[in-house]
Parts: sequence; structure tokens; C-alpha cells
Amino acid sequence: MSVLASSSASAPAPTRLRSGGGMVRLRREGAIAPVSAFIVFLLVYVIINPELLTRFQLQTAANLVVPLALVALGQLIVVLVGGIDISIGAIMSLCNVVFATQLEAVPPPVAILLSLGVGLGCGLFNGLLVAYGGLPAIAVTLASAFIFGSLASEVLDRPGGGLTKEIYLATSGELVPFLPVSLVYLAIVAVLLWLLLQRTALGRHIYGVGSNMESVRAAGLNARLTKLIAFGLAGMVTSVGAMMLAASTVTGDPRSGDAYLLSSIAAVALAGAAFTGGRGSIIGTVLAACTLGLIGNLLFFAGINSYWQYVISALIIFTVVGLPVIWSKIAFAVKGARA
Amino acid sequence: MTVSAAPPNNPSVETPQGKLRGRASIKQAASLVPRSVWPLLAFLVLFAVGGVIRPNLITVESLIGTATFAIILAIASFGQTIAVIQAGIDLSVPNTIGFSALSFLGLVGPLGPAGAFVGALATGAVIGFFNGIVVSKLGLTPIVTTIAMNGLLFGVILLVFNFSELTAIPEFIVAITSAKVSFLGLEMAAVLPLGLALMVVLQLLLSFTGWGRSLFVVGSAAEAARLGGLPVDRIRVGGYVLSGVLAAFAGIVIVGYYQQASATMGAGYLLSSVAAVVVGGASIFGGRGSVVGTVGGALVLAQVSTLVTVLNLGANIQQLIYGVIILVVISLYGRQGRG
Repeated sequence: MSVLASSSASAPAPTRLRSGGGMVRLRREGAIAPVSAFIVFLLVYVIINPELLTRFQLQTAANLVVPLALVALGQLIVVLVGGIDISIGAIMSLCNVVFATQLEAVPPPVAILLSLGVGLGCGLFNGLLVAYGGLPAIAVTLASAFIFGSLASEVLDRPGGGLTKEIYLATSGELVPFLPVSLVYLAIVAVLLWLLLQRTALGRHIYGVGSNMESVRAAGLNARLTKLIAFGLAGMVTSVGAMMLAASTVTGDPRSGDAYLLSSIAAVALAGAAFTGGRGSIIGTVLAACTLGLIGNLLFFAGINSYWQYVISALIIFTVVGLPVIWSKIAFAVKGARA
Repeated sequence: MTVSAAPPNNPSVETPQGKLRGRASIKQAASLVPRSVWPLLAFLVLFAVGGVIRPNLITVESLIGTATFAIILAIASFGQTIAVIQAGIDLSVPNTIGFSALSFLGLVGPLGPAGAFVGALATGAVIGFFNGIVVSKLGLTPIVTTIAMNGLLFGVILLVFNFSELTAIPEFIVAITSAKVSFLGLEMAAVLPLGLALMVVLQLLLSFTGWGRSLFVVGSAAEAARLGGLPVDRIRVGGYVLSGVLAAFAGIVIVGYYQQASATMGAGYLLSSVAAVVVGGASIFGGRGSVVGTVGGALVLAQVSTLVTVLNLGANIQQLIYGVIILVVISLYGRQGRG
């Protein structure tokens, strides 16, 4: 930087980079495809079902996608450091039941803190074994999926808990007409995460660890600590998703996270993140989760058997993730033919 | 591991610094024992522990009961083993099981039992072929590919077999699974000798055929294999096809043994099939693993389940112990760079 600053000729360069920064970053993070997919999806949705823009449907749709989007963000953070979290569904179930049961015993803010703490603890448990134990993330989180899942059933063995209408209204109602409050929470978490990842040293280290662990270490940064923090952070974000789910369904359920294991990975994949680490976008992940989460609804309103949602989700993933590969292969072949 | 295996006769050579090398030579000696022996030993230890706690557990009947439970999990995990050996993973096992089981029952009417059997295995082959093509030609991560495939299959299952009554189990499937047979003078369910025979065939295929060995090469060093002239993509696709066929076979066996089929019948095998493979000593990074080890891993998990049931500890504790066992196994030989 100091070299750049001292040379007056290169002074305009940073500003030029800045102006195109958003698009450049989206493309570099592989988020163009999921963002465009979401825009197309939303247009189709509104054409088929203009009622989405009514207050009730907006609220329902928001409550449906927000937990998935939050859990997908948690998965994204782990994927950014080159890991994968098989236990994310179990962490979600555990935070969900901790939140639901503690509401019966302590005031809501304390229950929220406890649930966040449990999420953090689960993340740190995984992170310690992966970063400091040198064990593969997929195997560690497979083991902890069993462990956290068993703890969740131990805390609460059947759906229940002390969720109330007030909590539902505070998390899943409307802030002002036409603005579901759950979207506000999602936006706050997403923006905070974005600031953390893009605007702080820690965030850049997280991307760095994922793209090249050795370089980060050679640069004298604490790569292990960065990994540990990333896992802990992911656990906390997952916990927020778990609480939003508990609140919007007005129950705590020890199996509630199960479905989110595969769908969180699917959303991160659809967002164009690299599972080798170092590449992935927050806005892409949120929009990918919204797309996957709303397909069932769209089919319902289009009068199509909603079981098609599973098939269509899979095809969207194959298409959005596979098209760039096929495209580059075709481009390569065309170039080769021309040369 | 490969480095320590290079001087195989070292442990017998007395060196001047014998004391210093003591630990190393024990390690070397241990590394000469095939990995698949360890889970079997662990199973025997657990079996003995069960006998200490409840002496009436040391009976041939109890052994056969546990082994029958284990062999079904093992059959469901054979395909996973093949996928893991070639550095992949097959998370579409659960719904491949469900899909093949339901197609088998659906096809019995029009095609007869034998035709239905072949048809169901063919569905597994097609599923595996598609997984393999997407992984090797499109370059999608195996986790994402097979998760998407799992979702797609779930949709297809719900669309095709929507609440249809499929209860007629053909005679010959019952005969090879749940029917009691006498083997070496012992009464057991037919699935046990069937699974063991399949294990022997698969292990011979993996250990003594060129194709089997090439799976290991592709799994441990795909780039080297490619440079060495191996058709890596074709080997990969073949591995996934075999994995799909084995999962489909597991579906038929499970239908025969439990005499029922449902859309979610495979769900429990998502994590437990990977668990059996990992406990069986396979490396999650590929290039290492055996079906004998997987049977050993399944035996360990099944014996834990038996002990937990006998001691009346509940399913939660069982899950917890599964998690701890996986952690112990991966910390014994799951270190990055060593495995």
C-alpha cells in the first residue's frame, strides 16, 4: 500500500477499482449466477402469484426462508475456511431446544444468550478439533452430529417448550406493515457478517485461510485461531437461525435441524461458494436460500404437485453450478478450434 | 503410512538406540497389521465387556443377533465404502435405498421378482452413473452432487410412489433375507451369510482386480493417476455406479428383512453409513478403506447398540457413544497429512 501511495501516477487506480467493486466482487465470489437465478425466480413467482406482495404472504414467506438463510450463512463461514459442517443440523436442533426450554425458566434475553452460547460452544468444539487437532472437518462434524443430536434429545425429547405468542410476534410478525420483522433480523445478521468478512482484518484472514492456508501461516498470521473463530462464529449464526425457527413455529423440536443439514449445504453450493474454501458470497448465499426455500410455495400457487420442489431444487443446483463449467468447456473448445 | 511401511523388516532389527526407537517400532509393527483388523478387535473387546457386565450376553445367539443387525448396516455402507475409497462420498445412499426398495416392490407386479430385482439394481446403477458423470465431468464436489441427487430422488419417490400400497414382498427376497437358515449348524437370518458372501466378493474385487486397485490409486492421487495414463474419469464413474448398485441392493435387502418400505426408510443411513465406513478405518480423503473394515465398523456400532439396549441407557446415549467412537477413531488415524 505504501508503495502505491507514494507513486502519484497510480493514485487514480484505487478509485477506479472501487467504482466497479461490487460487480467485480460478486463475479469473483461466484455470486452472479445465484443472484440472477433469484431475480428470475422472484419475477416468475410474482407473475404466478401476485399475492406474494400481500402482508400475510410476505410474512409467511419470510418466516419460511429466514431460518434456512441464517443456517446457510453459518455453513458458508465454515466452507470459507475450507471446512464443511455435517453437524450444523444437530447444532440447530440443540440451540432450538435450549432456547425453547430455557424460556420456561429464565427471561427471554437470558434464553437468547444461552442459546447463542450453546451455538458458540458447539462451533468451538468442532473448531478446536479441526484447527488444533488437525482432524478433517467432515469427520469431526460427523462425530459431533451424533453428539449434539443426542444432547438435543436429552434436553427435550419431544416437541414442546415455553414459546409464546409474544415471542412469535417479536420475531416473526411485522415491524411495520409490509416489512416482516424476521427479514430485518436476517438483514442485520447478514450486514454485520458482511462488514466482518469484508471490512475487518479477521474477515480477510477467514477468506485467506480458506484459499491458501500455507501463505496465511507464512505471513505470520495465526491461521489456526482464525479457523477456530470461524467455526465459533458459524455456531452462533446457526443459533440465531435455530431461535428464529423455534419462534416462528412456536415450538422447540429436537429434530427440527435435521432437514437443514442438506439444505444448508445445497444453498451454499447454489451460492457459488468453493468447497475448497476462500470463495463465497453472503448476498449470494442469502438469495440462494430464499430461492430454495420458496420453490415449494411457488409450485403450490402454480397448482403443481409440490413434491416437484425436490426435483426442481436439485435441477437448479445442477444447472446453476454446472452451467459455468459447461460454458467454459465450450468456450475452451471454440477457442481451440479457432486457433 | 507409506513411508513407515517401506522398511518392513525394521522392527526385528536391533538398533543401538533401541529405547528411543521402541515406540516407533511398535507403531511400525502396528502399521503392518491391516487396518480392518482393528475394528474387529474393538468389536471383540466390546463383546467381552458386554459379557463382564451381563454374563448371559456371551452366547452365540446374542452374537448372531448383533451380527445380523450389523450386516444390514454394513450392506447399506458397502456402496459408501467404494465411494469413499475413490475420494468421494455418497450422500445419496438414503434415498437410493428408498427408491430402489419402492421400485422393486412396484416392479414385482409387471416384471416378476427376478425382473424387479434386476430393475431395482439398474435404478441404482443409473443413479450412480449420473453422480459419477456430474462429479468427474462437471467437476462438482461429490458432497454437493450427491446431496442434490438425494433431494432429487426424494422428489421422484414422492411423485412416483405417492402413498401407494406396496406391501406384497416376493417370496425369494424373504428367503434370502429374513428367513431362518442353518449355517454351520447355527440358526440365523439368511441375510447374515448373504452379507458376508457379498463382503468376500467385494473385498476380492477391491484387492485383487486391476479395477479395484485403480480405485485406490484414483482415491489417493488422482492427478498422478491421470498422468500415469489411467482413465480417471471412467474409473470414478465406475466407482459411483458400483456404489449406487450396492445402495440399491441394500434397499432390497432392507425391504426383505423388515418387510416394509416407505419414502423415508433410508434416512437413518445418511450418517450411519459414513460412520460405519470411518470406524472401519477408511480415510475420509480417499485411497484407504476396505469392506471387511466396514463390516467391522458396523459390528462395533451394532455391539454398542446391543449394550445400550441391554443396559437400558436409551437411544440418546447410543448416539452420544457413536459420536465419541468416531472421534476416537479419527484421532487415532484421521490426522491430515497422515491419513
